Amino acid sequence: MRISARMRHPSSLKQEFLKKWIMGLQRCGFSSKKSMSVMERKKAIKLSADLAMASTRNGTTCWSRALIAKASRNHESKILAEQILGPESQSLKKASSTMPPVICSRRIRSKKILKRSCSSHVRRVRKFALSQKVLSANSVAKRLVQKRTNILKSLVPGGEYMDDISLIEETLDYIAYLRAQVDVMRCVASATELEYEGEKNPI
Amino acid sequence: MEPNSASYVPGSCPTRPEPEETGLESFQFRDEIQRLMTVPPENASSFTALLELPATQAMQLLHSSPHSAAGGGDEHKPYSSSSSFTNGNLTFPSNKALIERAAKFSVFAAAEISPETSSVPSNSSANLDKVKTEPAETDSNPDSSNKTQKLAKRKEREKKGKDSAKKSKNESCEDAEKLPYVHVRARRGQATDSHSLAERARREKINARMKLLQELVPGCSKISGTALVLDEIINHVQSLQRQVELLSMRLAAVNPRIDFNFDSVFATEGGPLIDSNIPSMVSPSMWPENPFTGNRQNFQQQWNFDALHQPLWGREEENHIFITPENSLLSYDSSANSASLHSNQLKMEL
Repeated sequence: MRISARMRHPSSLKQEFLKKWIMGLQRCGFSSKKSMSVMERKKAIKLSADLAMASTRNGTTCWSRALIAKASRNHESKILAEQILGPESQSLKKASSTMPPVICSRRIRSKKILKRSCSSHVRRVRKFALSQKVLSANSVAKRLVQKRTNILKSLVPGGEYMDDISLIEETLDYIAYLRAQVDVMRCVASATELEYEGEKNPI
Repeated sequence: MEPNSASYVPGSCPTRPEPEETGLESFQFRDEIQRLMTVPPENASSFTALLELPATQAMQLLHSSPHSAAGGGDEHKPYSSSSSFTNGNLTFPSNKALIERAAKFSVFAAAEISPETSSVPSNSSANLDKVKTEPAETDSNPDSSNKTQKLAKRKEREKKGKDSAKKSKNESCEDAEKLPYVHVRARRGQATDSHSLAERARREKINARMKLLQELVPGCSKISGTALVLDEIINHVQSLQRQVELLSMRLAAVNPRIDFNFDSVFATEGGPLIDSNIPSMVSPSMWPENPFTGNRQNFQQQWNFDALHQPLWGREEENHIFITPENSLLSYDSSANSASLHSNQLKMEL
């Protein structure tokens, strides 16, 4: 799996994320004295965090590509995204823009055709093998799992285009990324809050 | 270590207890599996048994291959590249039960690999009481050219009544270990047409990855059933995403302006040195009682401290993903300095 090399140094992953995130924030115009509304700031923070993490993956995972692609497509965040990612990521942007939707939809269409051709054959074979109860139980379980898989697909960015197996791999990577992001952001948030308190109430 | 190139001494396992990196190695292992799987696309039922093994046991098997590769055997060529991965950071579970189970599998591996299997069980018999060797399998060394023939023969033998599905798993995983071809072991009473084989392989792949996910997400290992596990995973992902939102709100609210003093840092030194740089630019004005004895340690301690905040995660992380070499520092006396969570202060203008 592509995850192998990355997971070797989780602390360096966090450091890389932090560095990229802060650089992105700087590029956003945070260091300038202009004031932004809270929502804008929050959006910028989150966006730069997302993009920082996605760029650490360097286009090797589907969700990171989808994140970047979404950010680039969305009009309001496009400018920010370009600013944050900076000039060095042109190749990354190209990779993320072309890959996911076209190829995956093609793959999915072919899979659907294959399934349709197979299922009729299988149904004929299996009809007499299993009792009705077992069949219905199986189908109920399958429906449950399918429902949850769809929910998961909606959660993971770029998940709608993936088959089950890669979906699970992407989820693994995505969870690792989310954890790293939460850890880093919590650290930074508590540090800034503490310092803010300290400066407000000088001892 | 072993006189026999193919033999594997399970007793060596506990001497290298680094359970944290097991998850990493399992991913590399699966990387290799993926690569090998792409070679024969028609045999979609790849590594069925292999993927059913938990990561740790899979690691054991993988470790057996470098040993046997040294002794010679182009049977292991497909795995030579993977052994180069694992040479540096091989880890073994310190869990005795896992080691024993893995040793059982590895005995079968050795039994498959070379005809001199009789020596192998005797080597490891000390650890494995319940292991049943299969000398019948040794003559069916599957590195001949008529692989499909042998596959059919083996399948028939399977159907005629093998002892246990477990053994069949092991054998097929040994086959899979050695060859670019992948063989499927049809279990008793199961259909062997290509469709169901492919379905079964797919299902087993999914199950293996689901197991990985279960280990990653806290509280999932006890749950059985795909739907419930998926529920937990979905909840976990949603909660993580919500936390990110909340944290970004917090950050946005606290600091009207953030002036990061990183320019000088980034300009002078490279990125990899960031962990030593950031603490150096910290002014310990807020926490005078916390002198920076080791900058790097402090910086990386905070990550581990955060891991401690979520004790569930911390345990999982320790074992699988978020392994840092500083885990040994977890026993520091940070409880006193709980306020000093963060040693990489960002200089801020308010």
